[in-house]
Amino acid sequence: MSETSAQTPAVELAIRTERLTKIYGQRLIAVNDMNLEVPRGSVFGLLGPNGAGKTTTLRLLLGLQRPTAGRAEIFGKSCGPNAVAVRSQIGYLPTNPKLPEDLRPIEYLDLLGKLSRLPREVRKPRIASLLRDVGLLDATDQRIGTFSTGMCTRLGIAASLVGDPPLLLWDEPTAGLDPSARRFTLDLIRELGKTKTIVVATHILTDIDQVCDHLGVMHEGRMIFTGSMQDIRRRICRDDFTLELEGDPDNVSRLARETANLEGVEARVHDGRAEIQNSASLLVRIANGGSRTRALADVLRLVDACDLSLRAIHSGQNVTENAYLQLLQEDEAHGFHR
Amino acid sequence: MDSTAKTAAFGTRMMPYLAILEHDLRALWASRLVRLWLLATAVMTLFLSAANWPKFQDATLIASLLFPYLVFPWFFVVVVLGVSPVSGARAEVLADGILSRPISRCEYLLAAWSARVLLVLGVYLVVTIPAIAVVTLARRPVPEDTVTLFGIVSVLAVVGLVLTFLVSLGFLVGTLLRKPLLAAVVLVFVWYPIGIVLNVFSLEEFSPISLSRAMSTQLRRPWRAPDVDAKGHAAAQDTDALTRQLDHFLSVFSTAQTKPAATRPEFFEGGTFNDFSLLRVTLGYGLPTLLAVVLAMLFFHWRDL
Repeated sequence: MSETSAQTPAVELAIRTERLTKIYGQRLIAVNDMNLEVPRGSVFGLLGPNGAGKTTTLRLLLGLQRPTAGRAEIFGKSCGPNAVAVRSQIGYLPTNPKLPEDLRPIEYLDLLGKLSRLPREVRKPRIASLLRDVGLLDATDQRIGTFSTGMCTRLGIAASLVGDPPLLLWDEPTAGLDPSARRFTLDLIRELGKTKTIVVATHILTDIDQVCDHLGVMHEGRMIFTGSMQDIRRRICRDDFTLELEGDPDNVSRLARETANLEGVEARVHDGRAEIQNSASLLVRIANGGSRTRALADVLRLVDACDLSLRAIHSGQNVTENAYLQLLQEDEAHGFHR
Repeated sequence: MDSTAKTAAFGTRMMPYLAILEHDLRALWASRLVRLWLLATAVMTLFLSAANWPKFQDATLIASLLFPYLVFPWFFVVVVLGVSPVSGARAEVLADGILSRPISRCEYLLAAWSARVLLVLGVYLVVTIPAIAVVTLARRPVPEDTVTLFGIVSVLAVVGLVLTFLVSLGFLVGTLLRKPLLAAVVLVFVWYPIGIVLNVFSLEEFSPISLSRAMSTQLRRPWRAPDVDAKGHAAAQDTDALTRQLDHFLSVFSTAQTKPAATRPEFFEGGTFNDFSLLRVTLGYGLPTLLAVVLAMLFFHWRDL
């Protein structure tokens, strides 16, 4: 064993792929030589634009598709079409799950419980509990065909949890959901993340920001970044925030001038919305290496000095979004060096 | 391990298979195609019985009731039912939902196949058994016939086997082609000229038309009838048949005329169909059925979903 590995505590992995590749019909490279490690117990965000290969990766892990090359392991066991033991460890939620329309929720979950070989005395109470947890207790007498997208997703979530698996693979769990259903799903991920490993494939950055502690970014079938959320935030060189202000426009202009005079700080005024009089926002950008805390303290002092009232402070832009876009740009710029 | 524990373990192992079987049977039963088919078979059986009631003897009438299952039109419904489980976008999405669970592809496919076979046989038997009972028990204005129980059971079994083969063939082609409509069209074009194809290989005794014609004779055949005189005689007959088959097959490619068999007439030419062999027909349909299921499983095992 090398010195480094002897010192670093070995991370137990839930998922490991090695040079995983999937080519469809010698034409389309869906997953390209992908190495992925997902630590056990993490909430892992699999991020990427549409067509990046996220869904294919999940399907390869489930054994629904065969890899063209490379291999994948879940909890140390190889994935494949007949890897029943592997699939018993996974709860899968597909994007906008298509469920048998002629069944009722209890019948559907009972079927899935039987597929997981759960005895009746375990299956029945678990189904009741899951239906309560996902808020479908009032819909048990309806056929699934009458369900809305949100209800189908909720039932899909319950379906992925029937076997009480230690690993959840959820593909676009918030796709097509209204705000309250989306909030519910994100809260559930946070709650389940305390006891399970969860992989959330999505292209919605705010979801990743809110619930994930680890991140993998896919682009054109390749994994271009994996690491913790702190790692990806550290990649951002810029530091900026926006102040929403109320007061005399002359005072706002004065504030902008005085802020711009601070060392290592740039400031720019945006006009307020027409419907709100005397409002404006000030974008403050801190140069590389500058202290964000000190700059913010100085600016707030100036706001007070300029007789303006502060309505809100926003962290300038979405940090993860910046990092993500930066990664994609870098990946495209690298060309043959990839 | 005691017997109770063994039974429980077996029950747990079979749980996914039985769950899919039950689910598929329910889904099939709920489909309009199956309900319409059941209604249509009942109406056609009633119509055929009524039309031939005063004309045909028992064996001929029963054979006429079984004709639609062997030749036309029910084979089409049967192959369409066989095609559906793993072909077509919607079926594949639903299969995804099941195959992402701890179940092997083999278990899934076997359960789906069993459900279709059970349903087809169920619809077929639920209509034909009462009809046959009525035909054999009723007093009709025709000379009395010598239909035997063995004859009825064997004929029902043969037709059931042909239907099972058709489901399996649909299953195989559906798995291969993945498009239900295309698979159904291919099967129609394969099954319609099957008589000609079998004739080329001197296997016309297996064609649905020949089976249909041989039904009356088989219905009158008693249990333990001397099928063939002696083993040696049967072996000589088989060798003779094989030689003639090969000659016939080669003549197709060489365009030469086959020498007519001098010793006895070709199969069924006698008109009495006494040379109908239950064993040969069972093997002739049973083995391809098994082959179709095994091939479907292999293709399904290797393909992506």
